[in-house]
Amino acid sequence: MIPLSKMPLILILAGLIPAFTMPALARWKRELCAPYAIAVCGLVFSVALYLFSFVVRGEVLPLYVGGWEPPWGIEIAIDPLSGMMAILITGLALLIAIYSYHALRKEMKAEARGWYYVEFLLCMVAMLGLVITKDLFNMYVFIEVVGLSACALVVSKGERIAVEASLKYLILATIGSGFVVFGIGFIYMVTGHLNMAMAGQVLVENASRYPYLLWAAMSFFVVGFGVKSALFPLHLWLPDAHSSAPSPSSAVLSSLVVKVYIVALFKIFFVVFGTVLYQESYIRYLILILASAAMVGGSLFAFVQLELKRRLAYSTVAQIGYIYLGIGLGTPWAIVAAFMHLIVHALMKTCLFLCAGAIYYQTGRKKVTQLAGLGAKMPLTAAAMTVASFSMVGIPLTGGFISKFMLARGSIEAGYPYFIILIVVSGLLNAMYYFPILWQIYFVSPGEHDEHGEDQENGTHGNQGDHGSHDSGGSFKWDQIPLTMKIPIAATAAGVVVLGIVGIFMFDYLQKIVSLYLG
Amino acid sequence: MNFEALLTNYPYLVSVIIFAVGTLIVLTQPNLIKKVIGLNVMTNAIFLFFIALGNIEGGEAPIVDPAAPAVLYVNPLPSALILTGIVVSFSVTAFAMALIVKLYFFYGTLNAPDFMKMR
Repeated sequence: MIPLSKMPLILILAGLIPAFTMPALARWKRELCAPYAIAVCGLVFSVALYLFSFVVRGEVLPLYVGGWEPPWGIEIAIDPLSGMMAILITGLALLIAIYSYHALRKEMKAEARGWYYVEFLLCMVAMLGLVITKDLFNMYVFIEVVGLSACALVVSKGERIAVEASLKYLILATIGSGFVVFGIGFIYMVTGHLNMAMAGQVLVENASRYPYLLWAAMSFFVVGFGVKSALFPLHLWLPDAHSSAPSPSSAVLSSLVVKVYIVALFKIFFVVFGTVLYQESYIRYLILILASAAMVGGSLFAFVQLELKRRLAYSTVAQIGYIYLGIGLGTPWAIVAAFMHLIVHALMKTCLFLCAGAIYYQTGRKKVTQLAGLGAKMPLTAAAMTVASFSMVGIPLTGGFISKFMLARGSIEAGYPYFIILIVVSGLLNAMYYFPILWQIYFVSPGEHDEHGEDQENGTHGNQGDHGSHDSGGSFKWDQIPLTMKIPIAATAAGVVVLGIVGIFMFDYLQKIVSLYLG
Repeated sequence: MNFEALLTNYPYLVSVIIFAVGTLIVLTQPNLIKKVIGLNVMTNAIFLFFIALGNIEGGEAPIVDPAAPAVLYVNPLPSALILTGIVVSFSVTAFAMALIVKLYFFYGTLNAPDFMKMR
């Protein structure tokens, strides 16, 4: 049996080794790839749960890789933040892997599927590594692995538009990681340490000697992670990449990949630079301004999109703004709200993207104007979409309400009560582009959609959609999607509701993160 | 502004300038291959920065000779890190090239602005 002290490493290796054996499996037994990936995700999820059970009791599990202590060795640790993120990443990855089993048969060529799972597992493992590492350069390596595998996930469908989006993503992400590694260089220059906690200690003592260098480092980190996590004016790659990827990849990219960079930025700000230095810095105001711009601008961009997945992608830009707002405010409640929103958004955006994939699977439709009458044809998907949309808007009894409420409380605590207006306005803007979708689904009969949607279509997608729309006029029928697609959709939607009801009880846990990092 | 400090630490200045040039190439060049070259210029500037960081004036190569230990060694850690960085940069370049080849099959050109017209 593996000793507990080695378990954080197992968390990574349990996914990494199967990821590299997957190509061999794809070569010889292609049909086994999907079950294998699900099994691996299940294994990693159970390891994460096991580790989480210790974290809940307030333990922190550090591991020095290779047995060398921090000044020289690499430290990885399962603390409340990384434990929570590990559960979120592996749990959602498991659901998405189950979903991929049938969804990919429709969306991807058979030869590409094995490679898809390689990228999928690599991406999951790299995200896990990114959240549990305590070493700056190790973090950079994981950032690159996440970036490359995310680009590969985008391109896995092999369409022209996906290749273009992926190249755009790759170039901008590489610029982003260039800025990040330059920032790491600055930190190393001042402190001589790569371990975050140790660099933080030295930095606190020497901060007054190198003010400009530290400000430069901070802004480099904000630009670098801003590009990678799609902070508003730097989000240009996101809509193309997220909308052209296959639906399961979009769910991974939108709900997890952009979030882990925020977690990494959070760790750098609050561990390396420290709370005091961060509160004094001016970059905080830049984050607040950009986050506000994201909350309004992202929603406005989303409003004009007609393609469902593109609208969801722009909605991600807006929701990232909420998380950055919480981090920018920097008070304990705001941080709690930011992490709450991070979890809730991960769940609801996964749910929405999986619903979009399910709609494409059954009807072949991609535009928001073509969704008429789906309430009767795909009741489960429609219900899940309703729940997730309500959560996006922030209606009570859903997770989105709680996180937005906490964010409002955080902004009062930080002394900027006018951000509440912004949160409300952004919520209304969310309603403006989600409720028309729901209106289409429930209250427009399928006949109307023909005049409505077809003239904007140039026919190609409309033809695919026909076999769904003929047989089921207005009569009620369960979704014609396989069980493997229903389960993840139902589970994520249920998760959103559960978080909305019992989310209050998570605050104790989130407070632990705050007390650990903000000191 | 202390220019003397800037001149004595010229490797840092140079690497920041090269970094800026590389970023400019990536963002402004329409040709995709040139964009990738810019990407490499950019990452190499970072490597230069790290190597300059590890250099200590008058330091020896960090190989300890038990018979005659030197007083001052060059810091080997940044060089080791950059070895990893080079591998990462290489794989990014390879991946970008693969994508560009694929785009060339689709469009028959490497000029990014033309893609919008052909779509």
